Amino acid sequence: MSFSEFLNSRRSDAKALVCELKKDFCYVSILGSDIKSKSVRVDRSTSNISTGRDTECGFVIKLSDGKLIYEYSLDDIAGDIPALAGHITESFRLNAKLMDAAVGDLNLTDEPLVQSFCRPSDLHDFSDDQILDVCIKNRDALLGASEYVLNAFAVISSYEVSKLFVSENRELDQNFVWINGNMMAIYRETEKLVQVYDGVYGDQMGGVIADMPSLVEKLLHKAKILTRATPITPGVYDVITDPSITGLIAHEAFGHGVEMDQFVKDRALAKKYVGEYVASPICNMRDGAAAVVSAGSYFFDDDGVLAGDTQIIKDGILVTGISDFASAAQLGTAPTGNGRRESSRRKAYSRMTNTFFEKGTDKLEDMIASIEHGYMLFDTNNGMEDPKNWAIQCVAEYGIEIRDGKLTENYVSPVVMSGYVPDLLKSISMISDDFVITGSGMCGKGYKEWVRVSDGGPALKVKVKLG
Amino acid sequence: MNTMVKLLEADSRVSGYKINIHRKETCELFYIHGKLETVRRTDNCEKEVTVYVDHDGFKGDAQFHVYPSTTEEQITALIGEAVGKALLISNQDYSLPGNETGEYTVDSNFSDYEPADLASLIADAVFDANTIAGASLNSVEIFISKHTETVLNSRGLHKTQQRYDAMVEAIPTFNGADQSVELYEQYNFAAFDRGNITDEIAGKLQEVKLRYEAVTPDFALDCPVVLNKLELSELFWNIAEDLNYRSVYAHSNLRSKGEMIQSDPTGDKIGITMAGQIPGCISSSGFDSDGLSLGTARLVDEGKVVGYYGGNRYGQYLNETPTGNLGCLSADTGSADEAAFTAAPMLEVISMSGLQVDFYSDYIGGEIRLAYYHDGEKILPVTGVSISGSLTEVLKDIRFSEKTAIYDGYCGPEKAILDHLKIF
Repeated sequence: MSFSEFLNSRRSDAKALVCELKKDFCYVSILGSDIKSKSVRVDRSTSNISTGRDTECGFVIKLSDGKLIYEYSLDDIAGDIPALAGHITESFRLNAKLMDAAVGDLNLTDEPLVQSFCRPSDLHDFSDDQILDVCIKNRDALLGASEYVLNAFAVISSYEVSKLFVSENRELDQNFVWINGNMMAIYRETEKLVQVYDGVYGDQMGGVIADMPSLVEKLLHKAKILTRATPITPGVYDVITDPSITGLIAHEAFGHGVEMDQFVKDRALAKKYVGEYVASPICNMRDGAAAVVSAGSYFFDDDGVLAGDTQIIKDGILVTGISDFASAAQLGTAPTGNGRRESSRRKAYSRMTNTFFEKGTDKLEDMIASIEHGYMLFDTNNGMEDPKNWAIQCVAEYGIEIRDGKLTENYVSPVVMSGYVPDLLKSISMISDDFVITGSGMCGKGYKEWVRVSDGGPALKVKVKLG
Repeated sequence: MNTMVKLLEADSRVSGYKINIHRKETCELFYIHGKLETVRRTDNCEKEVTVYVDHDGFKGDAQFHVYPSTTEEQITALIGEAVGKALLISNQDYSLPGNETGEYTVDSNFSDYEPADLASLIADAVFDANTIAGASLNSVEIFISKHTETVLNSRGLHKTQQRYDAMVEAIPTFNGADQSVELYEQYNFAAFDRGNITDEIAGKLQEVKLRYEAVTPDFALDCPVVLNKLELSELFWNIAEDLNYRSVYAHSNLRSKGEMIQSDPTGDKIGITMAGQIPGCISSSGFDSDGLSLGTARLVDEGKVVGYYGGNRYGQYLNETPTGNLGCLSADTGSADEAAFTAAPMLEVISMSGLQVDFYSDYIGGEIRLAYYHDGEKILPVTGVSISGSLTEVLKDIRFSEKTAIYDGYCGPEKAILDHLKIF
């Protein structure tokens, strides 16, 4: 594994282009991305090895004249640098009406730093043939595990990132890998057809390959549960969340609301609550690309800011949010290393990375035993943010009814959690002493701008509306 | 392009190939509180090459990407690597579409404008809508895209099309004495009509004012629920995706031809036709990624599944005629006139966190951000409630509006009346 030869070959062009554009702009930076993603996939009757959806190679040039931020995305920067600089500058000649609307007072800083980063991986030790063989064996194991499995899917997706950031005072490069091994079964034991999926992940192919067979039993167990599951009777319940649902709450219910570009836009209620209790005093929450090694990890963000580890909630009090470079500049705060782009073709926004609640001191069995009637919820399906009004919609794949302090054989699915974020967070009364991060998620902002994220934490005991 | 074709044809192990080229040029404006913060321009061209290798009675395929910087030597090596991967893949054989050429343009007046000028005009149209005291647009993002798409293959297919689209993401906000509330608006369109844009955003600003006034009712709501085009689009696309050749081939489809979507329907019966192009739908396209020309396919008629749709490969696997991947959905309208939607009591949903439609679990529901409760005398804006129910029960007597609306790739009933939903 090594840094992109292509980006290395454009390093001097990037520096020359920065110099040329600095004649017209007070801030210039260039981010080059070379991302190779691959997906090896098999099901009962087909297989394929394809380029993954993250594959891209290109540059984005960020400029500012102090009044506006300009960005130009293109495939390559090699060639006649003065001509390219001229073309870019010309393409941003705006009419008077647009210039009159400029936000102004932008002071983008450029602190000196030169550094290379690499997270070693064994990705290239495995051939396509070997990876395909792993997928076939896992598929066959799943198909053979039950006569009710109509189809089984096994997919190994790898994602190898090289990024180069060049400005007048900074030169950074990074290289790392993330790998997902996912399996899905289509299962029909009764009249009811169910689809179940689960995944393993990591930055080492050997680890993913070793973990994948464990999914077979998990999927069959889940398929049987979903087959027997019935709709939940809507109401407010005592609930235990598994780490996946804890992560969903951290991410959707609260995390989007502390993305500080939303503070600039006055789109986040959290802006008014910095320094105040927003959660139970036993609650601590963090986000950071450097906080753990997972799907949202990197060494520097897409604005060239080093990865952070931000304490968002400390003992129930909102400490700070997470920010990208431009938002921090407008708020007068230090950027937290959360400026992320879907690709070099898209804008950078304040985005979550690895978002989680910290573990507590309670035993899971004690938490379950404390509930007379409620549910334990498992496995994230989806969620939707509402940072301005702190409404919640988080969907769990299924729940198990708790009666008199014990998990029963009564399953419900799907389960939609809704309500008001502070009510939910302040209702947290117990936190388990274990901790799991789920590293296979994708996150959008609104309905676009998809980036890889992870989330998780311990089990939480909360009170929430289910339907 | 000629070099690529020459190199592909020079490798005797290559049985066939397909080249997809997508050039996308955009102009984007990002406003915060009415002030322009960021201007973006993009000009990117993505080239993906698929190599097919016939071996041992099977067909294997693999892809690679080509960039402006990719040299001839590198392309030759990439072809070799792709052949190696394709030889590992043993899929049932199928043939590539062939011998069709053409140049297509999806109708749009965007080409009459310079992109930056058009973006500026769209911004004017958006901000003109802001006439309500206390209301504002805290964030507005405008994206104008020009797409030039080419697909060619080893069987003589070569098609190119040009199309445009635009998207406005606006966050209408209402700032009152005690709180500030917002709604989310994503408005997609493929033809510039200043009045339509202003009307759309003005409607959302009016709605956000009502969200501010909305209350969580202190009494139980037990009445029919009205869903709008956005939620209906979600419902109908769920049905359509289940009937794609790929789903049918993977055995993941819940229903097959001849089966009813609605059991013993007493309301309006569902009808769905997929289409390549519908005027006003942003997903209109002349051909799909395999180059198949796109027509129409009837999927559901009178509540019963009558057909499937989908791309070249899976169509052949199922011995069906490949329809191409049709990007537009047309749903039949129903019997409910305007008066039916003003009957009381009724809860008219205006904005949800996102309607959850799960045919596997027979579930429909979600959290409501704004709805109007019609009690027969007045209309009460409500928030903080959720809906939940069984799809089987709901679809049995669902009633669709006579009036049609378009939302992205959906063209169908503007509204529907649903019974049997619990409001809590």
